[in-house]
Amino acid sequence: MLVMNKLRIVGAVLVTVAAAAVISSCSDKRSTGIEYARNMYDPIAYNPDQPNKNFRNGQTAQTPPAHTMPVGFDEPETEYPNTLEGYETASKNMRNPVPASQANLEEGKMLFLRMCTQCHGLTGQGDGSIVAMGKFPAPPSYSKGNSSRGGAMRDLTDGKIFHTITYGVNLMGPHRYQLTPSERWKIVLYVHELQKLQ
Amino acid sequence: MRRISLTFKSFVKSSLLFLSLSFACSSVSYAQSAAEGVTLFKQKCTSCHALNQKVVGPALKGVNDRHKEEFLLKWIKNSQALVAAGNPEAVKLFNENNKVAMTPFPELTDDNIKSILAYIKEGDKPAAGAAGGVEGGQGAQAKDEVSDVMLGSIVVIILIALGVVLVLNRVIKSLEKVSLKKQGLLEEEEIVAAEPGVPAYKKLLKNKKFVFFVVLLLVIFLGSAGWMGMWNTGVHTGYQPEQPIKFSHQLHAGINKIDCQYCHSGAYKSKNASIPSLNVCMNCHNYVTASDKYNGQTSPEIMKIYKALDYNPDTKKYGDNPKPVEWVRIHNLPDFAYFNHSQHVKVAGVACQKCHGPVQTMQEIYQYSPLTMKWCINCHRETEVKYKGNAYYDNMIAAHDKIKKGEKVTAAVMGGTECGKCHY
Repeated sequence: MLVMNKLRIVGAVLVTVAAAAVISSCSDKRSTGIEYARNMYDPIAYNPDQPNKNFRNGQTAQTPPAHTMPVGFDEPETEYPNTLEGYETASKNMRNPVPASQANLEEGKMLFLRMCTQCHGLTGQGDGSIVAMGKFPAPPSYSKGNSSRGGAMRDLTDGKIFHTITYGVNLMGPHRYQLTPSERWKIVLYVHELQKLQ
Repeated sequence: MRRISLTFKSFVKSSLLFLSLSFACSSVSYAQSAAEGVTLFKQKCTSCHALNQKVVGPALKGVNDRHKEEFLLKWIKNSQALVAAGNPEAVKLFNENNKVAMTPFPELTDDNIKSILAYIKEGDKPAAGAAGGVEGGQGAQAKDEVSDVMLGSIVVIILIALGVVLVLNRVIKSLEKVSLKKQGLLEEEEIVAAEPGVPAYKKLLKNKKFVFFVVLLLVIFLGSAGWMGMWNTGVHTGYQPEQPIKFSHQLHAGINKIDCQYCHSGAYKSKNASIPSLNVCMNCHNYVTASDKYNGQTSPEIMKIYKALDYNPDTKKYGDNPKPVEWVRIHNLPDFAYFNHSQHVKVAGVACQKCHGPVQTMQEIYQYSPLTMKWCINCHRETEVKYKGNAYYDNMIAAHDKIKKGEKVTAAVMGGTECGKCHY
């Protein structure tokens, strides 16, 4: 009898281990698991990424009405449109309103490293990480290259660089949605430093 | 006669030699110029042109047939001068390409341009990367299969072990019967076994040891399950929902080394880190289609971006029926807990990975941290505040200095006139 009991015990243990293995392997990473009071997670007001039946297109995040702008943004579209003429006008009329202080330069460098180096490289030579891997064509060097809109890159003015960051050019996309104007101007400060490199 | 034949022979020999030599030379120089062309092409042209696809400028394959070399030499050096001079071919080309002016390249010599044209004529050699990519994909698949096989084999081993136990049980039972028979004790035993109207389970229920054992197992099993369940209620660690686009953070942040905040550009200046809108994707994917991994076709995942934007990659035009991509939110704090990204990223300088884990190695994103109150509190207890040179704390330090000096401190000094103190 004792032998039989031992066997039963071993059998039961094996069954439990197997059951535990099966149950634990069933835990679904695609679901959030057990939730208590889900309504505490969901806001009463809408999150920007939530569907919203109050709007015709069903989104909470609406495109702002034309000619409105968030605080801290300016909209250069009317004054400096995304054309060659707008580019030249920007070059003539725009001056960097951000003073070239050490703090602003530091911030410009930080923003440049975050937003630009993937393509333009750490020093603006057009040798960024994705360019080096051959995944994206190289942009011209700030100090040695030529601009596709005429002139050497090292001669680009405040307005021209600002216009290019705002609207993009050729394969470069517009970055005005990721960067506020004052951030763009800080990057312009730092790009001027990189233009001086030999 | 003999002399003549000799000279003829030597003539033929030398001319053959010359011919072969010149052929070799020309092929070498051709190869050289095409090789030079590749480097020049990559330096000067690829910002706007590709061989087989329209980028900013037209696709360059067959450009040698479309235009005369003489024209191309002038056009590449300074296309706008040609247009201004009213060259009909140049004006036509300029108008065909939406009047986008091509960068002038006065620094290129005729030979440079000829070598670029030679490279375009020869065409791009099939990329070796594509095959490697496919193989890599298969390798990854094989790995997945291996883990499945391992799980399966464990289950099979457990089943076999159970079978062996059952069979052994039977064998031992029959052996015991045999031994009991020999001792002549069987009858008594059989009476117990063959008691009518008592099913097997009732017999088991009478076995105190067995009942105790089952109860013990149940207590352990249910207890631990309940304990785990309660601790993990509302904790979404490891949550990895299926996203509408198979976006790999490993590829973008890990391999391509694109900064987290290039796309999540709200993290340092806003409460939300923000999910990038599709125009941010298009900053690169207007060019990057990963077609080398899909036999020249655009990757189906990148195609989803184009579809959502109602964008036609051939004409490079956007339609007027864009639809948002419905990403599934992973990190979700309860509505009663306030969290601000900029406070942590900008003021405290916490790295993204501290809370979000090694995102740059995640093929598919999942929740790394539990995001429980205990987890928040533990970090807040340990983290030292970097207030030196941190503008955010200037007012606080000033107020404390005033208190130390025994000066008058008003509510306004401590932010008592902030709008949000009353109008929240």
